Amino acid sequence: MTYMWALYAREVKRFQKLWMDTVFSPIVSTVLYLSVFGIVAGGQMVGDVNYLLFIYTGLLAMNMVNSSFSNPTFALIIAKNTGSIMDLQLVPVQPWGIGIAYALAAVTRAFITIVIAVLFTGWFIPGLSLEHPLLLLLGMVLTGLEFGMLGVVFGMWSKGFESLTFMTTFIMQPMIFLAGVFYPIATLPAPWDTVSMFNPLHHNINLLRFAVTGYSDGNPWLSLAVVTVLGLMLFAGMHVSTARKIRSL
Amino acid sequence: MIPLHVQAVSKTFHPPKRPKVEALKNVSLKLEAGKIHGLLGPNGAGKSTLIGMISGTLIPDVGSIEIFGVDILKQVRNAKMLMGVVPQEITVEMAFTVREVLYYFSGMYGVPVKERNPRIDAVLAELDLTDKAEERARNLSGGMKRRLMIAKAILHKPKFLILDEPTAGVDVALRQRIWQLVRRLNAEGTTILFTTHYLEEAEQLCDSITLINHGKVIREGNLKELQKEFAQNTIHFELFDTSVEHLPKVKAVGVEFEYPLVDLEADMHAITSHYNGNLKSIKSGAASLETIFLELTK
Repeated sequence: MTYMWALYAREVKRFQKLWMDTVFSPIVSTVLYLSVFGIVAGGQMVGDVNYLLFIYTGLLAMNMVNSSFSNPTFALIIAKNTGSIMDLQLVPVQPWGIGIAYALAAVTRAFITIVIAVLFTGWFIPGLSLEHPLLLLLGMVLTGLEFGMLGVVFGMWSKGFESLTFMTTFIMQPMIFLAGVFYPIATLPAPWDTVSMFNPLHHNINLLRFAVTGYSDGNPWLSLAVVTVLGLMLFAGMHVSTARKIRSL
Repeated sequence: MIPLHVQAVSKTFHPPKRPKVEALKNVSLKLEAGKIHGLLGPNGAGKSTLIGMISGTLIPDVGSIEIFGVDILKQVRNAKMLMGVVPQEITVEMAFTVREVLYYFSGMYGVPVKERNPRIDAVLAELDLTDKAEERARNLSGGMKRRLMIAKAILHKPKFLILDEPTAGVDVALRQRIWQLVRRLNAEGTTILFTTHYLEEAEQLCDSITLINHGKVIREGNLKELQKEFAQNTIHFELFDTSVEHLPKVKAVGVEFEYPLVDLEADMHAITSHYNGNLKSIKSGAASLETIFLELTK
């Protein structure tokens, strides 16, 4: 385990060295989104929840997803470009240990980003409270791990930053926009409301939003089950990808 | 315990849209504990593929590889812990200082936190990198990066060290320093597998060698015995001006020339009288490794 923690510590150190890019830029984007949507739709309600709070929790969840996905992806693509991926091929750390070290570093970065974002912005969100703190903690860990592991899988398979652009433009962005970050998915016309229910990201956002506000687009426990099962599937996928790619890079 | 036992390994690559490449064919190799072993061969001979499989980064199609009796395919983690590897390519972490690179890398080999900095200080001092400890690794010169690669490989005190062309592109002084380090580690009991393109380096350092070409082992054994075998019937000489007309049977071997030896006195006389003042050196001793190498790989 020491071996894996050393890799985890290295990856945490990496994003700490670039904290302006890794931690503060997502906070700036959150503030910008809140400013625009606050002006346009501030004061409206979604169920019993103020729209600003609704979108705020969605934006925090989106930040969690983006931070945890991009941390291992960037680190691995840079390592491939510089050749330092060789280190991972040589060290006596099991493939799952390599993947988990990167995913845990991603969770750490996402947690720090969210905590700082809330400290900076939470004070002007009306009705911000914590309905289910333990569920929030669990949801954040699962979401961070899930997208951290997805980032590892993508980082292992991608050929370079061009692949990352493709992934974010054609996969991540549509998933985010159909996940109910900015609106309740029930307001979408058919078939997009049904499509959104099959969007895994919707369940992450729904779970985190429910934990903070008590509002849910559908059954929150179904969302917890989906997030957990996806996490387990991604763990298996991450282990296989890492084992395979580490020996063929 | 045998430090390295490679048994009948083969490896074929199947690059997309290109013909398959048989990189290694039924290669076996056994290293003696506490010795320095040279792995030599021309470019594309299969050395790097073999090193990749020994270090656990490539999987052989068939065959087995054991490090001190530990199977690299079945117990890859345990096997990797026993060895240190200096890869041929110089790669550095972009974001970290020299100390940070070594700190985290040694941690991944299980070096306890408390022991890391003292070990790093000692290794940096030995490799003359102490004043670079807090500098970004990416800002180091090529020779310094090469030393950093060596430092990474020895921090966890491996019993078996693989050096894949560690002196490629380094200056003479640094090469001497690396040789000293290799000798010191070997004197402390580390078994070393060394690949190099500088044959005089292999002559200086290695107790035994394996010559590999076209994916096959073509000769292996004690260096002195090989030299004797190939030196039986030749006289070697160097010339100031190499463009002169040569005696019949004279063959160029690298920077030297070779003449078949039948009668030492008569042959020496023939050479000295033909080349006269143009002779730079002449000897009838052991064949150079270069001669053996060229003979076997032609």
